[in-house]
Amino acid sequence: MSRWLVLFGKEWMEMTRSYKLLWVPLVFILFGAMQPVTTYFLPDILANAGNLPEGAVISIPLPTAEEVMAKTLEQFGTIGLLVIALSVMGAISAERTSGVTAIVLVKPISHLAYVSAKWAAMLALILIAFAGGFCAAWYYTAALFQGVAWQSSLIAYLLFALWLGFVGSLTLLFSALLRSGAAAAACALGIAAVLAVTASVFPKALAASPGMLPKAASAQFMDAASASHPWLAAAAALLVMAAVLAIAAWAVRRRPTLEA
Amino acid sequence: MAMQNEAVLATVEGISRSFGGTQAVKDISFTLGEGRCTALLGPNGAGKTTTIRMLTGLLVPTAGHIRFRGLKPGADQRAYIGYLPQIPAFHGWMTGAEFLRYAAGLCGIPKREAASRSAELLERVGIGGAGKRRIGGYSGGMKQRLGLAQALIHKPQLLILDEPVSALDPIGRREVMELLGELKRETTILFSTHVLHDAEELCDDVVIMRSGRVAVSGALNDIREGNREPVLLLGVEDTREAREKLGEWLTGLSDACVVAVEHSPGSSSARLYVRNLDEARRYVLRQLNERRLPVTKLEIGYTTLEDLFMKAVGQA
Repeated sequence: MSRWLVLFGKEWMEMTRSYKLLWVPLVFILFGAMQPVTTYFLPDILANAGNLPEGAVISIPLPTAEEVMAKTLEQFGTIGLLVIALSVMGAISAERTSGVTAIVLVKPISHLAYVSAKWAAMLALILIAFAGGFCAAWYYTAALFQGVAWQSSLIAYLLFALWLGFVGSLTLLFSALLRSGAAAAACALGIAAVLAVTASVFPKALAASPGMLPKAASAQFMDAASASHPWLAAAAALLVMAAVLAIAAWAVRRRPTLEA
Repeated sequence: MAMQNEAVLATVEGISRSFGGTQAVKDISFTLGEGRCTALLGPNGAGKTTTIRMLTGLLVPTAGHIRFRGLKPGADQRAYIGYLPQIPAFHGWMTGAEFLRYAAGLCGIPKREAASRSAELLERVGIGGAGKRRIGGYSGGMKQRLGLAQALIHKPQLLILDEPVSALDPIGRREVMELLGELKRETTILFSTHVLHDAEELCDDVVIMRSGRVAVSGALNDIREGNREPVLLLGVEDTREAREKLGEWLTGLSDACVVAVEHSPGSSSARLYVRNLDEARRYVLRQLNERRLPVTKLEIGYTTLEDLFMKAVGQA
């Protein structure tokens, strides 16, 4: 356990020194705050854009607070995922390419500990960044529109954080399997997109797909009835994450360094 | 100095390793005696690094196995090994001292001890002053030293060093060689090199590799003794006449005491492997006199380890 903490401590220190712990949450907060603010001021923004003919009347129905929150989650589903994939993509492959694994993995540590420490650090980063973004969205929605019930918000937060963590785990897996970090990010984002699309096309058949998670999170702000069984998808996501850890540890053990 | 009955720390039994279609290491075997310093010697591309990586567990042999004393075959040997890669890489954002404490933590050394050991090792490898600087700003030689320090952090039973001095400047080389000389008294060392001189200076045993196989292995003294051949080195004036005369004499040479002649046509020097040095000396001197060869150099002695090394790794 103490060795795991050493590994985790190194990951944490690296996130601090590389300012990852600063810029990832900042991006999330920025996008979280922007969505309600731009939605609220959209008519003014359009009016001031200047390229509208004189006398044009803009009439945009003001969305409800719930709709704004759901829309914000959509933003996190694209830009948030991209930021996470980019910040995790080199976690293992970059260390392998640089050659530092030839030193670290010769020390008597378990390969699972090496991978899971990275995974835990990534999860911590996601939880912190998304909490910042979500709170910013929640605050501005409450200030400009209306308060949103905190119970459903909390569930939405957890479900969507799980989705982010799921995609982050996939990135980590591909970082262990592939040489290139960019390829790892692309693979993980590709799978996430396929899962999300298939889940929204076949919601019944794929009720247990982790791709249901972002939809289920948004649904917390809509009719509660439509989000019947997010727990199945959540359980599936957790299961896949556990498998991802095992496979990544196996990949690291099998190929600790690039053979040159 | 007889060390035959001493304990064997590790045994390499017929290991092979192939990458794709090419076999980098082919069925090699040797043992590492406890407290001995062994050099893995060979030209570039002989399979030294591959062999070393299999010993550290970073590579799995495609055939054969490695046994460590007190460990089941296939058990995790990493706790007993300290390893310096050929080109050590670190986290550039850490300081040297931080990296050593990190390495100590990975070996399960408690925090306080890790800190004192790190400081001590930084001093010992000669970069005490740079401990608080980021590794990103280190020179190649400093990284090599830091790599050595991290390999020593848990007082390993077996220290494995891949080309520890090849990348260093002459002064750094000397310092690290002296440090290795000290370490030799504390632990078992295996290091690879393509420089015979380094091996001769430090080692008790050598394993000479050539294209993936062991060409010669054993205790350095035994090898030196066992392969000592009397040899005469002969040089004549570098004129056409003298060279022709030398060639003539050598082709017509037939005496029981000369075993073999090494002479490339048209060259002004030759090497004669002989059976009995005394006899050969008398014979050759007489012949040189009779034939009035303009000798510039005549060296009478024994083959060196260098000759053996060149013979073992040469293409012949």
